[in-house]
Amino acid sequence: MNEIGELRNMGKVAEKSAPKFDSEAKWGLGFLTPWIIGFILFYLLPMIASFVLSLYDFNPAVPDEAFFVGFDNWRRAIFEDEEVRLSLVRTIRFASISLPIGLGFSLYLAILLNSKNVIAKPIFRALFYMPSMIPMVATVLIWNGVLNEQTGWINIIIENITGIQAVGTEGIRWLNDVDLVYYAYTMFGLWGVGGAMIIFLAGLQGIPTELYEAAKIDGAGWLRQLRSITLPLLTPVIFYQLVLGVIASLQYFLAPFVLNRGTGAPEGMTRFIYVYFYKQSFTFFNMGYGSTIAWLLFIVGLIITVLLFGTARYWVYYSSEER
Amino acid sequence: MKKFSFIMTILLISVFVLAACGGANNNAGENMDNHSNNDTSTDNTADNTADNTADDTADDTADMGPTEVRWFVGLGAGSDEGTFAPQEAFVEKFNASQDDIVLVLEIVDNDVAFDTLATQIAAGNAPDIVGPVGIRGRDSFKGAWLDLTAMIEASSYDLDAFDPGLVDFYHDAEEGLLGIPFAIFPSFVIYNADLFDEAGLPYPPAAYGESYVDADGVAHDWTIDTVRDLSMQLSVDVNGVDASQDGFDPENIVQFGWQNLWTDLRGTGTMWGAGSLVDSDGNAQMPEPWVEGMKWTYDAWWTDWFVPNGAYGGADFLQGPGGSFSSGNLAMIQMHMWYVAPWALGDVPFAWNLAASPSNDGVTTAKMHADTFQIPKGAAHPDEAFEVLTHMLSEEGAGELLLVYGGMPARLSMQDGYFATYTEANFPGSDINWDVVVASMAYADNPNHESYMPSFQETTDRYNEFWNLLANNPGLDVDAEFEILLADLQSIFDAAE
Repeated sequence: MNEIGELRNMGKVAEKSAPKFDSEAKWGLGFLTPWIIGFILFYLLPMIASFVLSLYDFNPAVPDEAFFVGFDNWRRAIFEDEEVRLSLVRTIRFASISLPIGLGFSLYLAILLNSKNVIAKPIFRALFYMPSMIPMVATVLIWNGVLNEQTGWINIIIENITGIQAVGTEGIRWLNDVDLVYYAYTMFGLWGVGGAMIIFLAGLQGIPTELYEAAKIDGAGWLRQLRSITLPLLTPVIFYQLVLGVIASLQYFLAPFVLNRGTGAPEGMTRFIYVYFYKQSFTFFNMGYGSTIAWLLFIVGLIITVLLFGTARYWVYYSSEER
Repeated sequence: MKKFSFIMTILLISVFVLAACGGANNNAGENMDNHSNNDTSTDNTADNTADNTADDTADDTADMGPTEVRWFVGLGAGSDEGTFAPQEAFVEKFNASQDDIVLVLEIVDNDVAFDTLATQIAAGNAPDIVGPVGIRGRDSFKGAWLDLTAMIEASSYDLDAFDPGLVDFYHDAEEGLLGIPFAIFPSFVIYNADLFDEAGLPYPPAAYGESYVDADGVAHDWTIDTVRDLSMQLSVDVNGVDASQDGFDPENIVQFGWQNLWTDLRGTGTMWGAGSLVDSDGNAQMPEPWVEGMKWTYDAWWTDWFVPNGAYGGADFLQGPGGSFSSGNLAMIQMHMWYVAPWALGDVPFAWNLAASPSNDGVTTAKMHADTFQIPKGAAHPDEAFEVLTHMLSEEGAGELLLVYGGMPARLSMQDGYFATYTEANFPGSDINWDVVVASMAYADNPNHESYMPSFQETTDRYNEFWNLLANNPGLDVDAEFEILLADLQSIFDAAE
């Protein structure tokens, strides 16, 4: 066949393949439809509804008495209600402690369990992952007992080993000391690092071994390899975990709610923004104002996420990307 | 493309068919039977058309089947697992007794019941009956309850069967009569007799007006001060030294003397006298007896060491199925009748009994809970709900339900001999001092410690925060904390206007 004939045949193939592609796209769309319907029904419409609610004074117990207040709820949340600002600051303070510790600990575990020098790695991986399968409510209740200042075994061990008074009201009050409570809550979170650890582990195993071999030949030690190969190539995973961690921190709720039903004890330190949102909406039944706080929370989360994405090009390395 | 469209069409049709099937009510079988009967009846002559139309209309109504009345349980008693089966049995018995109403029980855990009910009301899906519900539950949903006055008048319901004061308890000046008395739960002292025996101490007075005669035979008025002294003797550290002795180690307590169990600032303060956080002008106030009570309790937590403070509250040795008292390491509690129930005290491995509430400055105040069933304004079937309600409050219905919830009957005719039945049902063979329960009614708090406050939940949240602060922090300037609390409460009240 001459070249012109080949081109004609290719054209025919292209003509035939066009409707096929069209059909595939529709099939794809068909399979996506349930998700799109779910998104519209369970995310988009509730979001729109919650925005509308934020313009109302709405008590779900007496829905007939709801009335339109315009942007009064927004003005109250942004300019008048000091608790919104304070609870946001508390959330950021807690995140600035728990997020680095949580990410660092899960990365440390992943590196440890990726090491050639560790024996029975599958067993250790399973053991470190197992606590994250325990429901967080149970975890929090267990730690509540473990950290009890009178009978918790952590204080008893500390007192027995070091001799310093750890037990009792003069001892280490993990959950009632304003300086310690965020660290105690961070400890609860460390039980759940199994998921993050697995993702880091997958990222570590995706780093080409020839890079380490080449570095070894060049005389690079473990620390240099970690600094120049492991961490740079792991930055996409770190970035992913960071974004998820920030969003999870803004939604931090379960531990303070289980431990003190959201009273904020000690001294309001654990009344995080999500707890405050819950209290306004579902305890005080100020559903309109609660919706406003939820939207503010969404906007703050969006801004932080956009900022993180903005910085990503300076520190996140994608091997497939042209630089 | 045609194939795609065909499959999608089939899928859509399937969805509609399935949805239609899912929407059918539970009486589908009955409805089909009714339709068959209709078909037979319409095989008549044309002359009977008009009659048939009327019959069809009547039959159509019958086709809808019995009315479903939803009964929501969770705001008060009734959400503990031990109460599920008897409540279900009550529903089954009621449903079997008639054909017009199907009573459907919805039990929601107390922790989430308030949110669940609010969501249901907001979604236009309010239940038809809510209860048992106390004052706290009622006032958490202020404005959401139906005024029963018209129904009571229309049905000539006899309110004389109840104490007029108790009927008035459910009357709201703005909203009308929101409930009919059902159960009352006086409070009194419950004590662990084994711990008294172990310490060689006589039991607290079994009746109001009696003195406490100590181990040396000296009689003391049964006052809050006597409670303090006695409780300190019953608070014991790991070395067996009690809180009234030198060398007591407050960091290693293994047994406590006293607790106002499962209550809050208002409930605790009421032991010193009835009061309200709202004065007659609607402003925030702290009743003087409550200030005294808070200080007494604060000292009991951090100086006298006979009430478990926040830290000890979570200690392992105070965890029991019915709270700290059922752990066996707490000597006395002030508690309501609803706690004297199988789920709380039925299986405890120690002897216990009931005693009189202590007095303060010559006045005894035993806080009271009163529960009933209410109908939300948004109920789909209020008339049928009222019919069920009257059954629940009747001698027969209340007789069954009171055994489940552990309350004293509000209906006067049921009060005699009630405790014999209750003992037989729940504590067979036990010799319980029920006389003190009946006597406690005379010392009920007025105003009630659960009565209305502006922004009910927010106010509750704020004073609970204050209470937690005191329970968890020694060395506070309590008076200064009171000032802060009052200022905050005033702000909440002002915002509620």
